[in-house]
Amino acid sequence: MLPPLLFVALLIFAPIIYIALFSVGLRSNIPGTEVAFSLDNWDGFLFGENNPFRARFFYSMRVALLVSLVTTAAAYPLAYFLSFVARQRRYTLLLLLLAPFFTSYLLRVLAWQIMLNDEGVVTWAARAIGLIADDGNISWLIYSTFSVSLVLFYTWVPFVTLPIFAVLENMDHRLVEAAQDLGASRWTTFWRVTFPLSLPGVIAGFVFVMIPTTGEFITPLFVGGADNQLFGNSIQAFFGTTNWNLGSVLAMALIITVVILMLIFGRFLNTDLRAAPGGDEK
Amino acid sequence: MAIDIGFLRGVGRGKSTRGDAVNGPIENALSRRNFLGGAVMLGGATILTGCGSPAVEETPGAGASRQPIEQEPGELSIMEWGGYEAGGTKAQAYGLVAGTDYTDKYGGNSISYTYINNDDQALQKATASNTFDLMHPCVEDLPDYVSRGLVQPFDPELLASFGELNPFLLEAGQVDGKQYMIPWDWGYGSLLYRKDLVDEADATGWELAWNEKYADKISLWGGASTNFEIAGLLLGFPDIDDPSPDEIEQAKQKLIEQKPLNKFYWDNEYGQMRPAFRSGTIDITYSWQAAYASFADKGMDVGYMQPSQGRLSWLCGFLLGSTTENYYHAHDYVESFINRKASEDLVNLYSYGAANTAIDINKIENQALVDSLKLDDPMAISGDDVHLQKWMPNSAAIDTAWQEVVAS
Repeated sequence: MLPPLLFVALLIFAPIIYIALFSVGLRSNIPGTEVAFSLDNWDGFLFGENNPFRARFFYSMRVALLVSLVTTAAAYPLAYFLSFVARQRRYTLLLLLLAPFFTSYLLRVLAWQIMLNDEGVVTWAARAIGLIADDGNISWLIYSTFSVSLVLFYTWVPFVTLPIFAVLENMDHRLVEAAQDLGASRWTTFWRVTFPLSLPGVIAGFVFVMIPTTGEFITPLFVGGADNQLFGNSIQAFFGTTNWNLGSVLAMALIITVVILMLIFGRFLNTDLRAAPGGDEK
Repeated sequence: MAIDIGFLRGVGRGKSTRGDAVNGPIENALSRRNFLGGAVMLGGATILTGCGSPAVEETPGAGASRQPIEQEPGELSIMEWGGYEAGGTKAQAYGLVAGTDYTDKYGGNSISYTYINNDDQALQKATASNTFDLMHPCVEDLPDYVSRGLVQPFDPELLASFGELNPFLLEAGQVDGKQYMIPWDWGYGSLLYRKDLVDEADATGWELAWNEKYADKISLWGGASTNFEIAGLLLGFPDIDDPSPDEIEQAKQKLIEQKPLNKFYWDNEYGQMRPAFRSGTIDITYSWQAAYASFADKGMDVGYMQPSQGRLSWLCGFLLGSTTENYYHAHDYVESFINRKASEDLVNLYSYGAANTAIDINKIENQALVDSLKLDDPMAISGDDVHLQKWMPNSAAIDTAWQEVVAS
């Protein structure tokens, strides 16, 4: 194994092994505590009747899947526009798309909190145009699954746009011209040429959202309600208090899930369209 | 108690307190072989020594020899609540004057703060790093700080205002007769509510948070032990700070029952609770008296409930880190907070009680608050109508049970 690779592997795996030791009771964060190998926390999480953390895990996965699908679907037209329509202005527009990311993530989440709350601009506008009564509110607008999903959607759209844009830019545009020369309509060209060739970027974008969203905790902390905290919030809370052992079980479960997702999607992540899946140039 | 976004805003710096053996191979020879060898050894050592729990370090004795103040590094690392930074530091944005004596003398740039959101988190942060010169938690976790070797006793002779401090509060800050905590601030925890929107007849006890009439307009704090104490009061436990496993389960079910009525559990007073209360997103919330005083001062029609089961009360103060290299600087810093002028500033700015009993209570601007909150009563937080939050022997079980409530 190459020495740099060994070093990187060490930096990646040593913390994971460390967390794994906590998860099986071989390490404690409380000084002076006796430690012993135990799978009780794992057993409770995996097989415990009505385990709330397992339920929270599946809820979080559903939210992550929903956000990933919607974000990818919304990012595609943006990437398409940048690559095929904007032409010479595409990099300027791309920069504009990324502009909000020059500010802190936390500030952007707080800005959404202000906009969505009961006296925020959205409620104000809904009152102004008569959608709701003058003293009415939209109960699901904030502190709900909707608000968590909306802010995560906003956060990830530019990131998902990038890999799709990169793939569309790398695509051999002569294939589109050839399809049109052969009589294919724009719609047929898109579905039979452009979209299939852009799938690696679509999948990469989907993974870009799905994986970090599974461990997300800041957005639900600020715009999620009592019922809308994600699995990452439980992990963060446990590592902020006394029970690192149970927190480590949750963290390891998330790591294992992410590894499985990477194994599933990793084989689709080649964005070089000039190379065949086997590596040969077309 | 003012709080801040500790996990995001922490600015504390870990200080090297002893010879740095880990860096040795890197500094001695930067050949790739040596570098990798060191890295592999470090990783191996991490894994091999990974089994176990951190050892409890011995606390230095009171008579331990120390370097004079001139030879101390002088850069204080302090674990603190947002809003409590010393006056004269860039971090202090709320107008607190306390601490100015220190920053006038040593400069405001010599202090770095690491922020905490609740006491459970404070204890965990202190345990994880053990590099703070000073910490400002509340008294209920003091036995844990001592048993984990995180703190050492103060030397009262180095604190000019020590003799002016409330003896009852001083005693609460002692373990085995040693003064581990220098008390500074105290106050209450109760439900803050909009008097114009909440029926006064409903605001008589903690059951207000369980009243379905106000569903979606309630927000409890995300503090595990506090919520279990509230549930314990409501369920009539004989000792809310030492619940049995069965009582913990009962309290957990009670809190799960309350959860759907919550708009959200707040973690941050200034970033979450206050804006939501001010905007009308919530009408009832767990709060300390500073928020009540602030909203009342701004003309909002608010009430700070005196529950039939009693308010919670708290006492916070300074702890001296066991590994501090700034022993004398730390004492100077604490003195700059407990003196009369700084204590009066605390009462005026946050409406909390001060441990310094020599302050001129007539100088406090809002005398109505002094009366209603008994800020001139040195025994106020130990009265029959309050429950002083104490050490919880089974806090780990309570923390886990609270997370089950949140995840349920």
